[in-house]
Amino acid sequence: MPVRVESSTPSLISGADPKQTTPQACTLLSVGQAFSGTQNVSNNQKDEAWRVNVRIQGLDLEHGYLCGTMEALNVPMADTPVVTFWEGEIVDGKNYNFFTGKWQAAPEEDIRHWTKFPSFAPLMNQVEVDGGKSLDLSNYPCIFMRWKEQYFVNVGTDCGLTIAGFYYVCFSCSDGSINGFYYDPNSSPFQKLELKSTNEGRSGFSFSSYELQ
Amino acid sequence: MPTSASSAIPKPSSDLIARLTVADAAVNLKALRDIKNQIIGNRTKKLSFIKLGVVPHVAAILSSTSDPNILVQSAAVLGSFTCGVDAGVSAVLDAGAFPRLLRLLAHPDPKVVDAGARSLRMIYQSKLAPKHDFLQQENTKFLLSLLNSQNENVTGLGASIIVHSCETIAEQKALHDGGVLEKLIDLLDGSLSQRDASLESIATIFKNNVEAIARFMQPGREDCLNYIIELLKDRNPKTRLLACVCLIVIRNSSPCYFQDIGIKMKLIHSLLELLDSPDQVGDEAPFVFSTLIAEKEELQKLAFEANAIDKLYNHLQKDQLSPRRFQGMLLAFSHLCSKLESCRSRFLSLQVMNIVIDAIKHESSDIRIAACTCLRSVSRSIKNLSAGYFMNEAVVLPIVRLLHDPCNDVQLAALGAISNIVVEFSTKRSIFIGCGGVKELVRLSKSMDLEIRLNALWALRNLMFLTNIMCKEAIFMELTASLLASLVCDPEPSIQEHAMALVRNLIDGCEDSIEYVFAEDAIVLNTIGQQLQNISTDEIGVQGMYVLCNVASGNEFHKEGVMKQLFPRGDDVTRSFVVKFLQSDNSQLRIAVIWAIINLTLPSSPRALDRVTKLRNAGIVSQIKNMVNDPCLDVKLRVRTVLGQLIAFGDGITL
Repeated sequence: MPVRVESSTPSLISGADPKQTTPQACTLLSVGQAFSGTQNVSNNQKDEAWRVNVRIQGLDLEHGYLCGTMEALNVPMADTPVVTFWEGEIVDGKNYNFFTGKWQAAPEEDIRHWTKFPSFAPLMNQVEVDGGKSLDLSNYPCIFMRWKEQYFVNVGTDCGLTIAGFYYVCFSCSDGSINGFYYDPNSSPFQKLELKSTNEGRSGFSFSSYELQ
Repeated sequence: MPTSASSAIPKPSSDLIARLTVADAAVNLKALRDIKNQIIGNRTKKLSFIKLGVVPHVAAILSSTSDPNILVQSAAVLGSFTCGVDAGVSAVLDAGAFPRLLRLLAHPDPKVVDAGARSLRMIYQSKLAPKHDFLQQENTKFLLSLLNSQNENVTGLGASIIVHSCETIAEQKALHDGGVLEKLIDLLDGSLSQRDASLESIATIFKNNVEAIARFMQPGREDCLNYIIELLKDRNPKTRLLACVCLIVIRNSSPCYFQDIGIKMKLIHSLLELLDSPDQVGDEAPFVFSTLIAEKEELQKLAFEANAIDKLYNHLQKDQLSPRRFQGMLLAFSHLCSKLESCRSRFLSLQVMNIVIDAIKHESSDIRIAACTCLRSVSRSIKNLSAGYFMNEAVVLPIVRLLHDPCNDVQLAALGAISNIVVEFSTKRSIFIGCGGVKELVRLSKSMDLEIRLNALWALRNLMFLTNIMCKEAIFMELTASLLASLVCDPEPSIQEHAMALVRNLIDGCEDSIEYVFAEDAIVLNTIGQQLQNISTDEIGVQGMYVLCNVASGNEFHKEGVMKQLFPRGDDVTRSFVVKFLQSDNSQLRIAVIWAIINLTLPSSPRALDRVTKLRNAGIVSQIKNMVNDPCLDVKLRVRTVLGQLIAFGDGITL
């Protein structure tokens, strides 16, 4: 029997109900989930990629918030893997839109980065108008985010590394993959982050949860 | 020469009692005056006289005399005994003086009436005072007669009776319909004490009474409302506090009113200023502030912008805070930090935690509870949990100690805070385990008290989240498979849910941990399977299915173990709960099932084909095919994953 899965296209918010703009929960982007992949840190002098592990530690769709840790494994100048804690803004049109408005990111810089994600293309026109405030992304199969590293977890700030920039991130609800681009005016442009959902050696997916009081 | 404290307090002489009982009015009057002068403002003396049995003698004089002077003095003495001393209220009530004092209100001499009303007002400050049943019409009439009085103490008494006795909507309605509210509104124009009493009574009648508020807020009544709003600027701090109470009651009962930011800011600023009051008003201000901001993120944000955290902190640093005020401030902090990270961040940067940690060890149980509540709110910060901010001995040791607190409510509050601080992402959980925290949680998870049992289990569930195998081993050893199984089938649904969530976390992570549910002849897994046959709430189904999902992410033996739970009757695959769950309205339940199916049908698994056949025979595959357009995007995408996997088994599916 042929089966057709409908493709999702973004729509404009019809009413003023802000609830409908909250992205639906995606189990692959829930607390405890792990991702692994690489970040390309190449520049003019050399080709280089660091292996990266990410773990989601907190998620609050209502406030467009998520957070977690990022572990860079083969950082040349570090003796151990370098772990950072990051906080993320989910672009939901309610809490955050596509325009960053901080971290030295002008709207043109935002557009230059977002357009690197193919799934952003259908949103482009509206984003140029209002930053995507009027888009209903609740049923869109990708979740756009900004991840900003806040502190080093296991090394001091004198480790010779910087967390001054932030990532433009696109999560695919379909396969749980994450693509991102690091933006820091003082670093190499468009350092690409590529992560895949990992099941940590299991023959399948496993999920844990906690609930704060 | 130094003297002992006890010898410094002279005991009331039995001569005094003799003077009260002698049949000489002048002697009686003198004795009453002596007593009054000695006990006024002196709690120790009051207690001493009460113990000596003075109160019944005074009550006897009150009932036997007709001399106005003696009536006034005896009423004053009785009132003084009750002022701020519950033992005095009990003694006066036990002596039968209450109805006698009430009778004084009908006395022709205004001085006697005033003395009676004063005494009764003091009695009504105590929770021990008798309740008036306003559903009886004559009681409402009596109340109106008090409110109509020209005497300030009598109208004040009427207001005190309302505040003390009016609790239910029916009682509020009886007072409203009986014209009491209108009278109270008139009294807003009265003296200072009448105005304060009126504000407090109006708040009592309005509390949760949407109907009365709606009538009050009708067009044409703006003057009265504006007047109350104006009282926020009154010179008298108590009036300002009561105006705040009144307006907050209206706002909390009917949130549709006071939407404009101006009035909200006025309330916030007024209450923060009232913290400066050195008296009872300042003690109560943080509690009233809490009622304003509790559960309301918008107001918490406004309060933060009004510098509330810093202002509260400045007050906390003052010496000799009354226990009541300290408790109120801790609770105000807990409400401020309950939702907003900006508040938590400011709270932590000011080092208020040091004060909270000390408060955890405070002698007052109310303060210990408030400290735990505050810690619970602040520890909702994932950022700080991740940094291991709360998992240190200074916090953990005293709070674990509270799990042995003699007061149940303290234990409960401690469990609430512990549930959060054990959500920890570094390796410092060993601090909690090392100080016996797990042992205590396991002990309390067997409590007969449902709330304690639930919260202990909640903490264990959170402690188990992403923990390493060594910690898991330590926790499981303490918990045991049989206790886990008994919690999974606890009569209380919320316990079942958290127990299953705990198991879900236990077997996440390292694949070896799946073996825990197969321990003791798979008692835990079998019990969960049995429970899933007949769930009482969807949430139990969700957690149970994630347990099966996590087991099914293991090896072939594990996957087959799950199949046994899905089809306990072997080849008889009919009536499986799986189809029912897939047809549920609850998308969380549907997605949990789909994930379990994904894990069972991974094409790379050697026995996946057998399992697919069984799932197909049970009607599960056809049900999944019906879900390709599931309204929940997550479900829809995962259904696609399943169907993609099934293609490998020649199911004739094309995508």
